[in-house]
Amino acid sequence: MMEKFDAIVVGAGLAGLASAYTLANEGMEVLVLERGDYPGAKNVTGGRLYVNPVRELFPDIWKKAPLERFIASEGVCMMAGERSVSINYAGNELLEEPYQSFSILRARFDRWLAKQAERKGAMLVDKSRVDDLIFEDGKVIGVRAAGDELHANVVIACDGVLSFIAEKAGLRRKVEAPNYAVGYKEIIELDPSQIEDRFGLEGNEGSARMYMGEVTKGKFGGGFLYTNKSSISLGIVIGIKDLMEEKPSIEAPVLLDEFKQRREIAGLIKGGETVEYSAHVIPEGGYKALNKLYGDGILVAGDAAGLAMNIGVTVRGMEYALASGYYAAQTVLQAKEKEDFSAAALSHYQTQMESSFILQDFKNFQEAPQVLENPRFFNHYPEMLGNIMKDIYEVPAGSKNRLYPTIKQYMAFSELWAMLGDMRKVMKI
Amino acid sequence: MSEAIGLKAKLGLDVFKHDKEAHIKIKDGMQKDPRLKRAILVCPAGLYSENEQGEVELTIDGCLECGTCLIACGTEVLEWHYPSGGTGVQFRFG
Amino acid sequence: MNIVVAMKQIPDLQQIRIRNREPVLDAVPLTLGNIDKNALEAAVAFKESHGGKVTVLSAGSEDLEDTIKEALAAGADEAFLVLDDELDGADSEAIAGILGAALNRIEDKDLIIFGEGSGDNYSGQVGPRVAEILGIPLVTYASSIEINDKTAKVVRSLEDCEEIIELTLPAAVSVLAGINEPRIPSVTQILKAGKKPKEILEMDDLGLALAEKQVITLSNLAPESERKQILLKSADELVKALSSQSLIGR
Ligand SMILES: Cc1cc2nc3c(=O)[nH]c(=O)nc-3n(C[C@H](O)[C@H](O)[C@H](O)COP(=O)(O)OP(=O)(O)OC[C@H]3O[C@@H](n4cnc5c(N)ncnc54)[C@H](O)[C@@H]3O)c2cc1C
Ligand code: SF4
Repeated sequence: MMEKFDAIVVGAGLAGLASAYTLANEGMEVLVLERGDYPGAKNVTGGRLYVNPVRELFPDIWKKAPLERFIASEGVCMMAGERSVSINYAGNELLEEPYQSFSILRARFDRWLAKQAERKGAMLVDKSRVDDLIFEDGKVIGVRAAGDELHANVVIACDGVLSFIAEKAGLRRKVEAPNYAVGYKEIIELDPSQIEDRFGLEGNEGSARMYMGEVTKGKFGGGFLYTNKSSISLGIVIGIKDLMEEKPSIEAPVLLDEFKQRREIAGLIKGGETVEYSAHVIPEGGYKALNKLYGDGILVAGDAAGLAMNIGVTVRGMEYALASGYYAAQTVLQAKEKEDFSAAALSHYQTQMESSFILQDFKNFQEAPQVLENPRFFNHYPEMLGNIMKDIYEVPAGSKNRLYPTIKQYMAFSELWAMLGDMRKVMKI
Repeated sequence: MSEAIGLKAKLGLDVFKHDKEAHIKIKDGMQKDPRLKRAILVCPAGLYSENEQGEVELTIDGCLECGTCLIACGTEVLEWHYPSGGTGVQFRFG
Repeated sequence: MNIVVAMKQIPDLQQIRIRNREPVLDAVPLTLGNIDKNALEAAVAFKESHGGKVTVLSAGSEDLEDTIKEALAAGADEAFLVLDDELDGADSEAIAGILGAALNRIEDKDLIIFGEGSGDNYSGQVGPRVAEILGIPLVTYASSIEINDKTAKVVRSLEDCEEIIELTLPAAVSVLAGINEPRIPSVTQILKAGKKPKEILEMDDLGLALAEKQVITLSNLAPESERKQILLKSADELVKALSSQSLIGR
């Protein structure tokens, strides 16, 4: 009979690799099973990783990690049908080390992180899909992969947003479309010098831009653009519930094509060559939609637990995946000391998560999904802002109106009242 | 402007490794179920379409394994698995 | 019975993309040649039914130590590796020289199996050259091998005929892709592969130095093809389109 592992990790995404790295670092026998050809082969992100929340959890990896560019300039663009208003932000703190956030390409990053975990002693088997959990007296004792049975004290489900593993363990909440978005994007290759010129960047500086409004035809979501070393990640994140409704009825691929053809984008990607097209579901139901984090002999981390968040147009999930993987590993270490892997012992994970930035964030932003569902944010405001700017900039043949009345005409009492209502909701976030 | 390329050509840029069996199937008798029509709108790879008989069809080649159709349509109409290990789409950038 | 299988480390061809007509090899995962996997399967299947040992032999860059696990997981008992980072891209003559020298160190070898051509260059020269170096008989294009005590009976499949050849062992055979379906190793087998014995040599150990290449690749460009990208909805349309271009039905 095969040896029994201290832990089997399902999925070599960020959550899985973070826990494998942490466990192997402490000398545990850990096996990672990944269905892709290599870690990262199935993984998609938009592309920005905030390092601050996780820097100390993995102190040794950041120096050499294959990160693309550090984000030195931020932009938000409100897109109306025929016009748009952009705000760009540059701040000296963004240029100071240690840098806050980086653009990232997962196929590269995950492969690299997997190598680091293997160096620490973790065993990784790719091209291998976990099909089932093995139970004994209701307790998870291992996994089944392509007919093989493998045993472990704890199984850590890090298998991403669709987590069939958490589902098999009865830890997954019923799937409801409003709790999920889909993100899809193109990687567009460009020379580094072209990227730097077009975005006003120097050296390894990078740019992050968010687009809302017409990009998603007023549906819940937005467009994103991140500069990588020699490519641009350009894509859309959109709520699945909004997308599947027929008002207006629009096919997902069409949105991206139209987005690419917008003036605001076309110039930035001109001459670039698309080299990849990818898509992935994102959990974004927030705190109320999280799955159960532990059971007898099993822990759930990363997207598998529902740990991604959409605040307006930025998605955050990678830090939560890395950190939850880390805390899952800490829990296994503690359980190993007492040789107790029951649900009661593993509930330590829940405690650690509660006191970490992860569940704090989720609690702080728990109203966000409901507040942001408001279609006015994705339709009415971008359109109104565009119109105000148009009137401000327009110089007619005759005399130009005073600015105050120009703006005031958009601010009828009913509008102000509605804005106030929206504001009060936003203040809950 | 970056050349507008068709969806099929876009999918052609990705690496796909062949699996013996289709990993997503429309359940028997469900081809006309209204829930399936959602897949036509949500699939980023445009793999679902409606034929003249009003039945929804799925071409599995080019599937990005994103899971959107599963979330939108549910397991009553779709039989949904990941492809077997080492097959299906393999992202080079991600 | 001891069977040696020669296998080549190559980039995963499906992962290579073309940029400005040149292959981009950066970060492409490595694997073993696909017909080499058929060669290994033939050896392992024989071992399983008749006993014996399967040694996998390969020369390549340092990554090979990792790549070869695929072969050990798929049933080889041990690996004999010559590692040198200059070896990826070496020509057939150099590789055959190295494999020949390495084979001279492997004591009992009744049969040496090659893939008919490597997955990347497909020169098909290494098998014949090694047989020549060792002075043993060789049969190419094998579609089946039957091994007896001191002889092997090999079916050699050519375009429009089949030859059945008997040869005395030790001998070398190169196999066709159609000879079998290589197995996919299980997780347990992959885990065990890491623990199987590997003998690792460097060029110095064999008393060899990499000679200057006799064959130099001047250019390796993808054909300039304007893909037509015609979208067809049915088999009928396809037939029509192909015959209108007189590509079929002439
Ligand atoms: C378009 C898009 C934009 C985003 N933008 C951002 C962003 O800018 N910033 C941010 O922080 N987050 C972003 N996110 C979210 C973020 O990418 C995810 O939260 C994060 O990738 C989750 O990591 P994970 O390790 O939990 O899951 P994943 O990365 O999904 O990893 C799961 C792994 O499990 C493997 N697996 C699944 N099932 C099995 C099985 N049965 N057997 C074996 N292996 C299996 C998969 O192959 C995969 O490797 C974005 C997401 C998308 C889709
Ligand atoms: S998984 Fe995604 S790409 Fe595949 S069929 Fe479903 S929606 Fe389309």
